[in-house]
Amino acid sequence: MGSLALSWRLALRDLRGSLKSFRIFLACLAIGVAAIAGVGSVTGAITAGLQSNGRAILGGDVELRLTHRFATPEERAWIEAESAALSEIVGFRGMVGAPGGETALAQVKAIDAPYPLVGALRLESGEAPETALSRRDGAYGAVAEQALLDRLDLEIGDALRLGTTSVTLRGVIAEEPDRQTAGLALGPRLLVKRDALEGSGLLQPGSLYRVYYRLLLAPDDTASALKLRSETDLPETGWRWRDLRDPDPRTTRMVQRIGRFLVLVGLAALAVGGVGIWAATRGYLERKTTTIGTLRALGASGGTVLSIYLIQIGLLTLLGIAIGLLIGGGVPLLLAPFLAESLPVPAQFGVYPGALVQAAAYGALTAMLFSLWPLAVARDTQAAILFRETAGTQRRLPRWPYLVVSGVLFAVLAGAAVVFAENAMLGGGFIAGLVVALLVFAALAQLVRWGARWLSRRRGPTHGRPALRLALAGIGGPGGETTGVMLAMGLGLTLLATIGQIDSNLRGMIDGDVSEEAPAFFYLDIPATQRDAFVKTAQSDTAIEKVDTAPMLRGRITGINGERADPAKLAPEARWMLRGDRGLTYETEPGEGTTLTEGEWWSADYKGEPLVSFIDEEGRQMGLEIGDTITVNVLGRDLTARVASFRKVEWRRMGLNFTMVFNPASLSAAPHSHIATVYAGAGEEGRLTRLFAKDFPSAVAIPVREAIARTRTLLNKLADAVRAASATTILSGLIVLIGVTAAAQGRATHEAAVLKTLGATRGTILRASFLRYLALGIATALPAIALGMAAGWGVTSYVFETDFRPAILPALFVAGFGIAATLVACVFFLARIVAVNPARMLRTQA
Amino acid sequence: MTQPAIHLDRVSLTLDGNAGPVDILHDLSLSIGAGETVGIVGPSGSGKSSLLMLMGGLERVSSGSIAAFGQEYGAMDEDALALFRRDKMGIVFQSFHLIPTMTALENVAVPLELAGSRDAFGRARTALEGVGLGSRVDHYPAQMSGGEQQRVALARATVPGPSILLADEPTGNLDSSTGNTIIDLLFSLREGSDAEKATLILVTHDETLARRCQRVLRMADGQIIDDARGVAA
Repeated sequence: MGSLALSWRLALRDLRGSLKSFRIFLACLAIGVAAIAGVGSVTGAITAGLQSNGRAILGGDVELRLTHRFATPEERAWIEAESAALSEIVGFRGMVGAPGGETALAQVKAIDAPYPLVGALRLESGEAPETALSRRDGAYGAVAEQALLDRLDLEIGDALRLGTTSVTLRGVIAEEPDRQTAGLALGPRLLVKRDALEGSGLLQPGSLYRVYYRLLLAPDDTASALKLRSETDLPETGWRWRDLRDPDPRTTRMVQRIGRFLVLVGLAALAVGGVGIWAATRGYLERKTTTIGTLRALGASGGTVLSIYLIQIGLLTLLGIAIGLLIGGGVPLLLAPFLAESLPVPAQFGVYPGALVQAAAYGALTAMLFSLWPLAVARDTQAAILFRETAGTQRRLPRWPYLVVSGVLFAVLAGAAVVFAENAMLGGGFIAGLVVALLVFAALAQLVRWGARWLSRRRGPTHGRPALRLALAGIGGPGGETTGVMLAMGLGLTLLATIGQIDSNLRGMIDGDVSEEAPAFFYLDIPATQRDAFVKTAQSDTAIEKVDTAPMLRGRITGINGERADPAKLAPEARWMLRGDRGLTYETEPGEGTTLTEGEWWSADYKGEPLVSFIDEEGRQMGLEIGDTITVNVLGRDLTARVASFRKVEWRRMGLNFTMVFNPASLSAAPHSHIATVYAGAGEEGRLTRLFAKDFPSAVAIPVREAIARTRTLLNKLADAVRAASATTILSGLIVLIGVTAAAQGRATHEAAVLKTLGATRGTILRASFLRYLALGIATALPAIALGMAAGWGVTSYVFETDFRPAILPALFVAGFGIAATLVACVFFLARIVAVNPARMLRTQA
Repeated sequence: MTQPAIHLDRVSLTLDGNAGPVDILHDLSLSIGAGETVGIVGPSGSGKSSLLMLMGGLERVSSGSIAAFGQEYGAMDEDALALFRRDKMGIVFQSFHLIPTMTALENVAVPLELAGSRDAFGRARTALEGVGLGSRVDHYPAQMSGGEQQRVALARATVPGPSILLADEPTGNLDSSTGNTIIDLLFSLREGSDAEKATLILVTHDETLARRCQRVLRMADGQIIDDARGVAA
């Protein structure tokens, strides 16, 4: 106890006036912690915002969603019996026709009288929605988002065509309470009464619509209890369940996934900061060698020395973490009004202890991991150091117990990353990537030093070029900043290069292959009776290059090999196949761009046992083999088919691809519609929409180029978020770089002073420094580009399953940025180095 | 009359200290002949090292003028002074001041490389052999003892064959035995292979050492209080 108190006293006394030495240490730690705390706080705010507004967002306590069908009488009776209030809403994509003949895709919502159960639907005009939507003057009313009015140049009072029926536009939606749960819409919203759709021909069997049953619970009931009852009473309904506890699971999942990924990017910033922490701790302890030697000479044990400096580093770690938490937790709070405005989801900004604890834990582990080694080396400093003339005789490796502790700290850090990421592959992969990148750059730094030394000894290349030789000596000599600079910038540049390569390849895929090969339109809900007429119309238009159609049915997989399909029995990546309905089709021959990988296709006139062909990857993920059976519920009827083949398709061509293709005889008798792809050049969309809208009013046109543009916008936003998070890594890298350069400045200034006494001009010294940092910049940027390309290739090839093309511009940007950053760091200190007065410098060092 | 190796005319040096300007040297005039050996002694703070720095052109005078072989330092900018040192001078410091990132051989070769010598490394190797370090050419300063480092510094200062050799307490960081070896080397290297011996100016606090020089300047409070000639042969 007494010894610990003494260590505290000595630690605090020794720390006085030393805080300046820890600016880099504190900055590195604070930036990483702030990035992680910031991401966690924003993610927490969004998740809490969604949960606390659950009822309003959902428009009820529970929502049951059915795809392409209404509830059966039995299901409807159960829902009515179990709820205190009920609203039935139908949602689908539909083509809305303006009086002038223009048409536009809209997200149609057909509501009933009780809608909305929670909140209120408001119109810009202030008119009661009930009045606006009611049947007047022979037509039902409709209200729409302003965007639809803008797109079709509509005015209030205009008659709109919806399928084969007509409605009157009576208002503009000001507030739609359950808007949030609608997800990504391909068109503006249009609200009508359910009754308005009678006779519209839009809700045919096989049409793509969804029915939402919103429930209010009885006061003594809970969502979880009702869910349990539903699973017991109606296990086979296949409805998708949502309740107020997590009203928008898709958004929650997406926000949390992006959040977890960005936390890992923050961890990269912390890892780069770790290099700064290591360098700062080592530099500080080296400057304290005489103090430590003196303490040892006065009788302090190695343990006392260790505890003194461990206390100091511990206190500074706490300070760095506190600063980081203050920034990471505080900035989102300060920016809350602005962020709430710009976020598409409700957010409840506040202090989220979980996020802060996670950031603090990462910070503490990183600081301890990176400072332990220099601390352990300092522990072994002997009193004899005071009397030695030569340096470099100190122990360089810590004793084995400290190596073990380092290993444990690393394991805990990696484990935390895996646990917090909630995805072993992502967390583990990221940590492995970080370690590999750090090791690669450490090894490369060694290689560069050897190379510089080797080149320096080959007198030929350096002959008559003293600046070059001085630069090479600076890079290759002992105690230089080569390793520090390469580690500081390497990881950040690699991350930048990786993002650049992935981003560029994805953009290339969307802008290039996809845009070039993709159809101009997907047409949905073409009635089976109109399929031939649709194709004829398409073929008669010269602007249309090609039209493909396919029968479209929806069905839910209910059984595999005679047993009930249980998601728990499938691999996690295949479980989505059992969630809700999947698109089904039947074909006589394999489609274009399809290759059979196993099994055989049926003959054109096959009429035997139902057969199905699966896309290879999905089928394998579900554990299916040729000859297995699957049962699919189509429009309430179970269809059991045997797996006849597996096939590969070119998804990128965006043609008509279905996971499951059946033989025609097994499905053709079921009521169904068709879908079509229409290929035409850009600029024809408007005319073609009008062309088909006239004769096929119920067919829904989805303009693909518009959808691609939306995807591109989404991708841009995601890339911006990743880039913003990566900027913290670059910032950390720059701070470490400045720290490393600043630490080397003393030596560089001394070197310049000596060189001046030996007759070197300022020009020679300037050239030597410039060459040294230029070489370090190149030596860091090139491997970063190579690693970034390798990582980009891996992600592009295996995650996005597309061809990888090295992107030159992002690579050049990384090279330019890396070289510029190192040169700027050099220039930052160059003035002082060149201006050094040798007499004063050399005398102060005497 | 032969031109003096170094000539100082009413030189003063004032430096900015934390507590304001500090007068280091006052109104000091001095002429040192070519080939002369001069010891400068005096207590700490008397201005010995500052005087040596001025002679080396490493510090600018506050007033007065300095010339070496007739070339006025005041007329030369920093780079011109550096080139002048490269061609005419060798400097040895108490703290050796080797470049830590360079091996012994590279350290010694630097002044030759700066001068554009074609055989810089060959000459540097010979110089190192001359100071008894032929087997340590590839060692870095951190791998050598203080005595060895000072021998490298001596080789570096003398390898270009300077006309003026300035040494600031070259044995100050060494034990007496090593110090004696270094001083013997310094005097022998000063003789070099050139026809004309270099002018040696040696700052030391060691009276015995100073007496090995032909002339001893005694300093106190920034002034030369005694100039004794004919002390050594």
